[in-house]
Amino acid sequence: MSEPKIPVEEAQAPAPKVETAPAAANESSLRWLGARARSFTLSEGNLFLLLAIVIGMFSGMAVVCFRITIEWVRLGLLGSALAPPPLRVLLAPAGAGLVVAFLVQKVFRAARGSGVNQTKAAVYVFDGYVPFRTVIGKFLTCSIAIGGGQSLGPEDPSLQMGAGIASALGRRLKLSRDKLRLLAPVGAAAGLAAAFNAPISAVLFVIEEVIGTWSASALGAIVLAAVSSAVVMRSFLGGEPMFRVPAYTLSQPAELLAYAVLGVVSGILSLAFTKIIAYFRPKLRALPEWTYYFQPAAAGLLIGFIGLRIPQSMGTGYPYIDEALHSQYTWEILAILGFAKILTTSLSFVSGTPGGMFAPVLFIGAMIGGAIGGLEHHFFPQVSASVAPFALVGMGTFFAGFLRVPITSVFMVVETSGSYSIVLPVMISNTIAYLISRKYQEGALFDILAKQDDLELPSMEEQREQIVLRVEDAMRKPDLPPLQASDTVTRALEIAESSTEEILLVRFPTGRWAGIAKKDMPALAAAHPKDTQLREVLSTARLPILHPDQRLDDALRFIQGHPLLPVVGRAGSRKLEGVLSLPDILTAYQRAT
Amino acid sequence: MTDTENIVSRYVQRRVMLLSAILLGLMFAVTAALARSYHAREEGLVQEWFDKGNADLAAGKPSQAFEDFRNSLSYGPENPPVQLRLAEALLAAGRLTEARSYLVNLWDRAPGSGEVNLDLAHASMPTGDVDQTIRYFRGAIFGSWDQAPALRRRQVRLELCDFLLLHHMTKEAETEIAGLGADTPADNGFLREENGRLFLRAGEPAKALAEFEAALHTNPRQSQWLTDAAQVAFEDGDYLKAETYFSRADRENPSPDLQSSLDLVRAVLGNDPRLAGLSEEEQARRTLRDFEQGLDRVRKCNRTGAANSPVEQLPPDLQRLAKDAEDLQKRVNLSALNRDPELRNDVMQLVSQIEEVASRVCGPPSGLDQALLLIEQRRQGNNP
Repeated sequence: MSEPKIPVEEAQAPAPKVETAPAAANESSLRWLGARARSFTLSEGNLFLLLAIVIGMFSGMAVVCFRITIEWVRLGLLGSALAPPPLRVLLAPAGAGLVVAFLVQKVFRAARGSGVNQTKAAVYVFDGYVPFRTVIGKFLTCSIAIGGGQSLGPEDPSLQMGAGIASALGRRLKLSRDKLRLLAPVGAAAGLAAAFNAPISAVLFVIEEVIGTWSASALGAIVLAAVSSAVVMRSFLGGEPMFRVPAYTLSQPAELLAYAVLGVVSGILSLAFTKIIAYFRPKLRALPEWTYYFQPAAAGLLIGFIGLRIPQSMGTGYPYIDEALHSQYTWEILAILGFAKILTTSLSFVSGTPGGMFAPVLFIGAMIGGAIGGLEHHFFPQVSASVAPFALVGMGTFFAGFLRVPITSVFMVVETSGSYSIVLPVMISNTIAYLISRKYQEGALFDILAKQDDLELPSMEEQREQIVLRVEDAMRKPDLPPLQASDTVTRALEIAESSTEEILLVRFPTGRWAGIAKKDMPALAAAHPKDTQLREVLSTARLPILHPDQRLDDALRFIQGHPLLPVVGRAGSRKLEGVLSLPDILTAYQRAT
Repeated sequence: MTDTENIVSRYVQRRVMLLSAILLGLMFAVTAALARSYHAREEGLVQEWFDKGNADLAAGKPSQAFEDFRNSLSYGPENPPVQLRLAEALLAAGRLTEARSYLVNLWDRAPGSGEVNLDLAHASMPTGDVDQTIRYFRGAIFGSWDQAPALRRRQVRLELCDFLLLHHMTKEAETEIAGLGADTPADNGFLREENGRLFLRAGEPAKALAEFEAALHTNPRQSQWLTDAAQVAFEDGDYLKAETYFSRADRENPSPDLQSSLDLVRAVLGNDPRLAGLSEEEQARRTLRDFEQGLDRVRKCNRTGAANSPVEQLPPDLQRLAKDAEDLQKRVNLSALNRDPELRNDVMQLVSQIEEVASRVCGPPSGLDQALLLIEQRRQGNNP
């Protein structure tokens, strides 16, 4: 591939320059600086939290400007009608594609793509470095593309813009490399929270897809950034949930079967959508580089042709999701809209037009969900509810199947709709879609895209799936019962002769454990009378103890310097469950691989 | 990190945080300005498309209006007036299922809205679900209205009455009209007149007349109400009232129709021998006059019938009546009629039979013949 998706020239730029103290700073100026600095003394941890709030505020406002700019561009290019005039429908997406392609190829090479993988790359490859130029590029190119009618959304770009803003601030503040690396997800959560008006989902998505773990060091900052960003966004654009949803109640348990069917269909379709993108994207990227200038325009023209008949398939499609949620379409129309959106979004995305996948995925999910609901209602009116709740559940289901973030998808539906009563059908349907997608598609979409871009980013899904080895998987039974603290040195010598272990474990009544190396036994016997109790000999010795459910990774940290460790139950540390040595751990890891 | 680096780093942090605060302020101002201008544009678009939709709806282009309202809603989804108009556009376009869907959503959020209930009633009418339609109509009557609530409720009740009468639910309609009457201000003659017409449609002429008279209290010279009252009184057989109102109406707004109605009423009043308060002599005089008219009518009818077809083909009734009349003529004179109330009664019975059969055989009566027919119908309680 001639052009890497993460722009090497920008993203792999040398680590940011560190501002050095003025060479001519003399002692007096340092005293002055010291006095000034004392009035602002925050530890790095606290500064990090404060920074998270500032990042959230910046990101929130950036996303507000971004969304408004998209709308202005749309009004300018397509007009204010939901069904724009035919000439505009044909020309606007193509024209926008041409301009965007030029900007991406000539000015903002890092603006290509959705933004999720780019943010992950910033965390795992570039030490949290996201060039600020990328933020500007993403803002401009996505505004033009989405406003011009390309079938993409503003959420993933918002995520990357948030990460870019965070990275820029962190660099200016000369934070440590570790903190800088953590800042990108903090900004990402802020950007996504503002774009979705859903801080919980944003936090979950970043944890589920970007950092992969519930890291205590990052969680506080991520939550603060997401909340402050959502608050800022709401103060400008209003606090209503993203989607207005009619009241829903589960009338009978059999209704859940209908949602299970939705899960199956959404799972299959999300799988097909993933495969379409995974297949065509590298094909188009393999074409000569000069075609990159025209691919978004060609995609735009095709989208325009589709838009002549189905204008709903252009742009983000949020107004139409709202209509579907209010049962404004028949199931046949909903099905057509869903398939048309799969087509237009595939065209936009594989052509390299910058923009996100979240909004189109929600659109497709809502339409497919509504269509399934309408169809079921047609044949089994007594079992299935009206179209609206199916459209709502469909959004989460397709999201779970396509992006493979099952927890985020559940919370996203609840949070963006403000409807808690829908959670049960969402959980059932999402799980089915997720399992189908996982069964028949090896990697999640973002992992596939990363691989296509020659990036070895950690797969969060794989990490979640990894088998965690625990102490109980490696421990073994001791060949002999442990010595007691009341046993004598003579008794210890007898046991040592019959034991195959290099270390003899000694149990104290208090639950303390100690060890005596067999090789030290002769010296011990020589130094003490034979009837001396071991508690006197080992008055200060103490061995770390392990529990069977502890991760083997953790055990590795304790085993350092101890050939053998006791494994005791959590109910009482006097009962020996087993013993663990370094060779036991290595054997367990070998077995697991 | 050395002390020097620490001090410098903290100084840099402070500077950056201060700079961030300034930048935040600037960005806040920019974002606020941008958001304000966008919200203003959004509000403008909501109104622009709403106005266009209203214009298209008024111009009889409901499909176009529907698109306009959809556009309006895309810039302000939580806008019940636009949602309602959109549903009305759908109703007008005959897209009942979609309209009902919109309206049910609106109803879920505002079950007490008079307008939503009324539109739902309109959407339910074609489905044939009468009970549901009536429920929505009643919801509209007892619902809330933003503008002119009393007037709107009245209009809905009128519409409900129409609907009930159309479905032959006369009892329910009467209840509604009664409710309407109770809610009608006494000084509004036009509304009273409207009530009267409804009562007429419900087959309640007496109540209708009461409403027309109530209307006339507000304006005793309103010729239409005078005509209405006269007509109802006439049809109810109250010829005295009919004569009063026809003559007043004719005075206010003379017309040949009114004059002819007045002549007819006067003929009834001037020839009915059973009118209360008449002396025996006057009753006899009127009976004799009526008999002579009846005799003349049967003779003429017989002659006309015979001219058109052979005598044996004339209806037997007419021939028998002609013979009875000829026979009776020998006994009928003023003094006999004056003496014998039974005779007066027999004579008038014969006259009424003659007029009835003659009207069937020889065409509708006119003048005194018509009056005689009405007199007999009134006696039998069959008012026209």
